[in-house]
Amino acid sequence: MSGQDRISASVAVKEGQAVCAACGHDLGPATKPWKDHAQRREIPLAQAGGQAYDTGHEGVLLRHFYCPGCAALLDTETAMAGDPALDDILAERG
Amino acid sequence: MDPMTFSIIRHRLFRIVDEAVITLKHVSGSAITNEGHDLMVSLYRADGTLLMGGVGFLHHLTSAAEACKSIIRRFEGDIHEGDIFLLNDPYTAALHTSDIYLVSPIHHEGRLVAWSACFVHVYDIGAVNPGGFAPQAPDIYTEGFSSPGIRLVAGGEMRQDVLDTILNMVRSPEMVTLDLRSMIACNNVARDRMQSLMTKYGAKEVDGACAELVNQSEDLFRARLRELPDGQWQSRQYLDVNGETARVNLTMTKKDDRLIFDFSGSDPQSPYSINCTKWASLGGLFAPLFPLLCYDITWNEGVLRPVEMIAPEGSIVNCTRPAPVSVATVGAIQSVNNAACSTIGKMLGASEKYRNQSTAVWHANHFAIFKFGRNQKGGDSIGILTETFAGAGGARSFADGVEIGGEIPNPISRMANVETVEAAFPVRYLFRRRAPDSGGPGEYRGGTGGELALVPHKAPDGGINYVISGKGSRHPMSEGLAGGYPGAPNSYVWVKAPEDGANTPVTAAGGLDAISGTQERVSWGVYPLMGRDALYVRWNGGGGHGDPIVRDPEAVRSDVAAGLVTLQSAGDIYGVALRDGAVDETETMAKRKSIRSARLQQEASE
Repeated sequence: MSGQDRISASVAVKEGQAVCAACGHDLGPATKPWKDHAQRREIPLAQAGGQAYDTGHEGVLLRHFYCPGCAALLDTETAMAGDPALDDILAERG
Repeated sequence: MDPMTFSIIRHRLFRIVDEAVITLKHVSGSAITNEGHDLMVSLYRADGTLLMGGVGFLHHLTSAAEACKSIIRRFEGDIHEGDIFLLNDPYTAALHTSDIYLVSPIHHEGRLVAWSACFVHVYDIGAVNPGGFAPQAPDIYTEGFSSPGIRLVAGGEMRQDVLDTILNMVRSPEMVTLDLRSMIACNNVARDRMQSLMTKYGAKEVDGACAELVNQSEDLFRARLRELPDGQWQSRQYLDVNGETARVNLTMTKKDDRLIFDFSGSDPQSPYSINCTKWASLGGLFAPLFPLLCYDITWNEGVLRPVEMIAPEGSIVNCTRPAPVSVATVGAIQSVNNAACSTIGKMLGASEKYRNQSTAVWHANHFAIFKFGRNQKGGDSIGILTETFAGAGGARSFADGVEIGGEIPNPISRMANVETVEAAFPVRYLFRRRAPDSGGPGEYRGGTGGELALVPHKAPDGGINYVISGKGSRHPMSEGLAGGYPGAPNSYVWVKAPEDGANTPVTAAGGLDAISGTQERVSWGVYPLMGRDALYVRWNGGGGHGDPIVRDPEAVRSDVAAGLVTLQSAGDIYGVALRDGAVDETETMAKRKSIRSARLQQEASE
């Protein structure tokens, strides 16, 4: 890392650890996938809310990654069943 | 070089491109060019490297550089003043056959000193389907006329035999002629102005300024990269075509002053024409990179140097001949663009300095719908629904996305007036408006996309037909950021009129459900729009940014009042309760508390 203090607007970095930007809950090392430490929910896109997401097609998922501490929604992903989570990580400080 | 002269030459190069674009539009007669701004003009150095990227579709800046280099290789020793070359082969440099490059060498005192290149999406290219996008093409051989390089103008004289041969292979040759002549005029203006610049300052001085400009861009871009955090960001796009789904996977790695875009793991090339070649993928990733990371840096070869692309051969992002590619610009290229936009947005969001430059994905899903048939004047018309260029802005870290806000890869994109379309085609719009719930929810909402419905009107043949290359009705493609939802997917519906002949009044307020008839989803192929049937299209909004349940409830109320968000979504997604048009603060707090509780009752992460 090069001195920055966040992975995204919702996931900050404190002393090398990824933390929830809202409550500071520890989400593991910033150089590892923080989503492994988040609460994950996977729902059919049609159930995401509103009619616009109800496409009439099955098999499309919307993943939610929540902070286990305060329930803030940290990230979302469109996915199909079995596809791996998208990992965003910072490099080891040189 | 003294800084004043350098600055003057730099600005003159900008103005040359601007004037060439104006010329192109003045001569062109097609809506896709004049109304949609599906065009590009840029300047290149003597060796074909990018010197001054212009406006228009930015995917073309690097591909046209490769077109220049390819012409240099093919015609080595036989390139003369006043020549103009045509190139549209996707396996050589172009994005797809209907985006024709005209490449002009620029000479000064007998020496080749630069190139100008431009493109427009020509009216037709003779593919199996009218308009250039060919969802029914099984291979490149059925995607129309394709040249890896041919001399169209020799020493200032049109090669009539070549022109006639091309026009003999396309529909509406008079319109294609106009397209080609608009590009010739454009390149002629660029050449004349470049020659004037060199006459005034000297070819050596101008070339020195160009070299310095390229080095300056490289230095500035590398410096910016060093300011950004080192790390790795991922994105994934799904392209649904005819019931099949293809993936574009991207891992972007930033290390010091280098940026690597790795598309390993993307699906093999498709039997459908959504594939793209490696030159097209390169253009696709640079289209968002130029405006997002280099908004204050001149777009040229210097920006390309710190960037590496890995695109596995035989994949959907680096297909091999004869795979079909005619839908590439709205297919794999756009997905490459979206994935790059997403990863760049994430990287910017990780930077304290640049976090406010971060944006969720904009208008991620073009819908290429080409209407064709006999018009109300008895002539033949072919033309795209230019609403595909209307787009929607992705939300930013501090503000909502722009409604119907265009798109990142084309800073000047826009759509035609309804009246323009109705004057050229035997159709009437039932409505065209912002589509509720299309913008991705978030603390900052993605900009809304739109929706429209068309019916035949005064059509001598009872209606028209249309070619639709409509993916993205299954998977949302405008990804959100930091907890923001994706923009809603597209929707394409053929409303078949009731057989009893009854007509139901249609109002703008009623939308799709107010149109009488049976609804059938369409997405890929050729369909009729006849009699009293209607075609309904909804296009995607931008991705959202941040958790929707921390959005200012007043903003949600305002959205509902404006028809941008439905009451259902206000409650279900944003956790906002409205009563008599006002926010019920007590119920809103309770609703949001309930949503948070429900979130923590889910199963633990894997």
